[in-house]
Order: sequence, then C-alpha cells, then structure tokens
Amino acid sequence: MTPSALLRPLPPGEGRGEGDTARPSPNPLPKGEGFLGRRRTRQSALIACFLLPSLAIFVLYRILPLFWNVVLSFQSWSPTRPAHFVGWDNYQDLWSYDDVFWQALTNTAIWIAAAPIAIILALAIALLVNSDLRGAAVYRTIVFLSYPLMTVAVGIIWRWMYDERGGLINWALRSAHLIDKPLGFLGSFDLALPSVLLTDIWQVIGFYMIVLLTGLQSIPPHLYEAARVDGVPAWARFLRITLPLLRPSLFLCAVIGLLNSFTSFDLVYIMTNGGPGHATELLITYIYKLGFGQTRFDAAAAVTVVQFLLLLVLTFLANRAAGGNAGAIEH
Amino acid sequence: MKHPIRHAVMIVVSVLMLLPFYWVIRTAITNDNIYAYPPHLLPRDPHPYNFVDVWYLIPFPRYLLNSVVVSVITVIGNLVLNAVAAYALTLPFVGRRAVLLLLLSCMLIPFQATIIPAYLITARLGLLNSYLGLALPMLSTIICIFIFKSAFESVPRSLIDAARIDGLGEWRIIARVLLPLSRPAIATNVVLAFIWSWNSFMWPLIITRDATMQTLPLGLARFLSYMEDTTGALYAFVVMVLAPGILVFLMAQSAFIRGLTAGATKG
Repeated sequence: MTPSALLRPLPPGEGRGEGDTARPSPNPLPKGEGFLGRRRTRQSALIACFLLPSLAIFVLYRILPLFWNVVLSFQSWSPTRPAHFVGWDNYQDLWSYDDVFWQALTNTAIWIAAAPIAIILALAIALLVNSDLRGAAVYRTIVFLSYPLMTVAVGIIWRWMYDERGGLINWALRSAHLIDKPLGFLGSFDLALPSVLLTDIWQVIGFYMIVLLTGLQSIPPHLYEAARVDGVPAWARFLRITLPLLRPSLFLCAVIGLLNSFTSFDLVYIMTNGGPGHATELLITYIYKLGFGQTRFDAAAAVTVVQFLLLLVLTFLANRAAGGNAGAIEH
Repeated sequence: MKHPIRHAVMIVVSVLMLLPFYWVIRTAITNDNIYAYPPHLLPRDPHPYNFVDVWYLIPFPRYLLNSVVVSVITVIGNLVLNAVAAYALTLPFVGRRAVLLLLLSCMLIPFQATIIPAYLITARLGLLNSYLGLALPMLSTIICIFIFKSAFESVPRSLIDAARIDGLGEWRIIARVLLPLSRPAIATNVVLAFIWSWNSFMWPLIITRDATMQTLPLGLARFLSYMEDTTGALYAFVVMVLAPGILVFLMAQSAFIRGLTAGATKG
C-alpha cells in the first residue's frame, strides 16, 4: 500500500450534495501544487473526460437546437441564400395569414385537453389493479403492453381497426345495428381527430397507469387504517388521502400528456398524415411539413418556438396546481 | 373469487386492450380476401404465406440489418457513456451543481422540438444518411444517467475506497466494482435504449435519404404508402416488427417499468 492512498485529501462522495463546491478544501497545499494537488488535477481531468461525451451530445442535440430555433425563427432562411434577420415577420405570417397554423394549434389544444380523460381512466384502472386483486400483475401487463410498441405499427393496426370493410369497429357497430352504413372514421372531417386520439389514448393509458400505481404504492397504508378506524367513508378516504398524496404523480401524468402532443407525430403521420384536409394536423406534423416538405425552416422554427412556449406555460401552470414543487428532483 | 365486479371490469378492459392485437394477427394469417364482409372473426385455414411474402415484396433483411445496427450502437453507447457520466456525477467536483442543472433542463426539451436545427447540425457534421447520424442523438440518455447514478450511490463507499487503496484506476472501479453491483440498472439501460432506438421513426425519416439506410419503422411506412391497406402481408410485416419489442418487454418488464418510473420521478 502506498502512503499516498492514505493521504488522499477528500474521499469522493463525502461531500456529496449541496455546497460541495463551496466547501473550503481540507488540503493545506494550494491547488495544483505538490503531490496531493497533482492527484486532484488528474481526477478533475478524468471527471471531465467522463462527462464530456454525454454533455457534448446534450449540448449538440438539445441546448444548441433550442437557441438555434429561436434565432432561425427571426430569420429568413432558404437553402440557397445566406440567412438574414427579419424580426417578427415569421410570427406575423403565422398569426395573420396561416389558417393551417391555427387549425394545428386548435387540434394540439384538443389533443392536450384530452389527456385528463385518459388520466382519469388510468387512475380508475390503477385503483382497481392496486387492490388485493388476484391476477393484478397480469392485468397490469396487458394494459401496459401497448405502450412500448412501435408507434408506426400501432398506427397501421388501428387504420385496419377503423377500416370500412375489413375493420373490426365498423363490423361491431353494424352488427349491433348502431349504424346502417360503414363509417369512414379516418376520412371524415368530424371523426378523424377523435379516432386518432382514441388510438393515442389506447397506447399511452398504460404509462399513466404505471406512474399512478407507483404513486399509490408510496402512500403509507397506516393512513388508510387510521381513517378506517375513525369511520371515514371510502369516498372521503379517496378525496382526503389518496388524491392529495397522489399530486406529484398526477403532475407527472400531466407533463407526459403535454409532451405527448409532440411525440404523437408518428401516430398522426401514419394514420392520417394530418388529413383529411388539415382536420388532424398537429403543430408537430405541421412543423415537419413546413420544414421538410416545403423547405421553410424559418417558419417551422417559429411554429416550434410557439409550441415549446405553450408547453412551458402549461407545465408551469400544472406545477402550480400540483403544489409548486411537484417536479422537484434531487430531494 | 373475491371482488367479482372488479374482475369483470378488468377483464373488459383487458379485452379492449388486446383486441387490436388479435385483429392484426388474424388478418396476417388469413389467406382469403381481407376485405370480405362480414369479416370472419376466426382465421379460416390459417397459413404463413403472408410472412414469406414480406421477404419478397420489400428488402426486409436490409431494414432489419439497419435497425439492428442502429440499436446495437445505441445500446452500447448508452451503457458506456451513461455509466462513466453517472460515475463522474457521484464524485465531488467544481461545477457539479451546474452540470446537474444542465441535465435536468435538457430533460424538459422534447427531441421533436429540436428537429429543424438537429437536421442542420447533423448535415454540417456530414452524418446525414449514416448509421452514426441515426444513433448520435440517442447515444446518451439523461434518464439512464440518473438511473446509473442512484445505483452507484447505493454501492457502499468503503468498497470503492478499498478498491482505490488496492490501486485500481477509475476505469476499473467502474468496470469491476460498480457495474457488477448494478445489474438492474444495466438491464434498464439496455431495455430502454433498445426500445427507444427500435421504435424511433421521426429522426430516421428526416435524415435517411435512400432505402439502403432505412430502418424497420420506415420500411413499414414505405410499404404502407406503396400498397395501402390492400394486402395481408402488411399485417404480417407489422407482426414481425412488433414481435422483438414485445419479447424484450415481456422478458424485462420490471427493468423497463423501473426505468420509466425512475425517470418520471426524477422530473
């Protein structure tokens, strides 16, 4: 054993958490001098090497694009000429002349507004599955099974479910004599958006359920026992114990629901590609069409900024509603 | 049976969740006109020809190869980069809080919100239409870094100090001490990275230019646009593409759920 190992100044991990950067060093030698300092410099270099690849990816594909989007949205951009600054022009065009933008914004708002319905359904399922039900694990797996699947495949499966002749849904409705003629769900201006939304709920409901289950299982059981001893009825136990303690999980579900308006690109692209007309156009599908269909990267960036701001504001509001620090991390 | 009503409700829910799977499998193994009305609820004389057709109608092996290559790069990248980054975050260093803050704020930026600049960046790097370009944005994942970090933090300090006194370098501490004690975190990393990369559609759609670089989801979309919904082979293709994801999920369900909820509770 070398004496240097015993003399190591600061055991890693001891100063974990807050304030470890501000803590005065127990090392009496000035930094970077002598043996101890050298070891420290070496460790710092190593830490930098360990962090750098990951940080480079996040800077390159998250931080930089965020700012580039903002810059791009104030520029006039085309693949052939150099970009130049045009102020609010892109936003003005969206606001005043772009009907598709408004349609996509409305549809995205509907998409986000449907999330609470899915979350309430998921909460009901989570409550059923959380009890001492035999086979609860099997039910849980079945409900969750659709979530990790490739969304492109899910879209194709549901196109077929909605099909006018081969589809199960039209057959079921016709057999039950609820309709006389088959309905073209995905080709109808009125039905297309709810139909795609239903598929989306089918796919993500399992994720909401899992998040809520984790929340339910972290509620200490003695709270319920105490309430039961005091004769508190079941509905009051739900309102006074379950719901308040479930707030962080509900907040997470809300955030997932908000992000879902971005991640639903795959589903909409496959099922309707925004059609008929623009009846199922979401902001994210419009961003794709503007950017890669019409090569209008500047307008696409402006739409991205609008949607990102919308998400930030709604996340902030959800956080406030959940009690302010529901998203707190690092305890 | 206790709780008959609860079971009844859950059975109805389960059937609703499973029906689409049944319907697509039924169509995939049905030989006759898939548009026959009324449709047969049970497959009549089931057969595997549609699955064989897939190999002839489209370059299925090529799509499969591309998907596997990108998934393997992504999984290895995630294991290595996330593990070393997580280890660094368990050590004290100047700027640690700033790095944590950076990671957490990055988590709030959905990848879809970055596509326009991400495309321009990848183009400047000269990585359009390449395996590395397909994998690069997913090569390290913040949720998985935090999963490794909390696994590493639960390894007793004394063990790491003992290894260091014995003269093990930092690399070996990770490889010989921390990783063998963090098997669940490794499983979670592998499963999440695989499923994300396997299912990824929008990014490959943007940066691949020709069929030789396209992955399975793009193959599916292409098949759909050529054939519309006219052939049972499309649904056979769907089943073939879904099978690996379902298998991985069923085998590693707990690792997958642990990862997702850990990521979720981390904000």
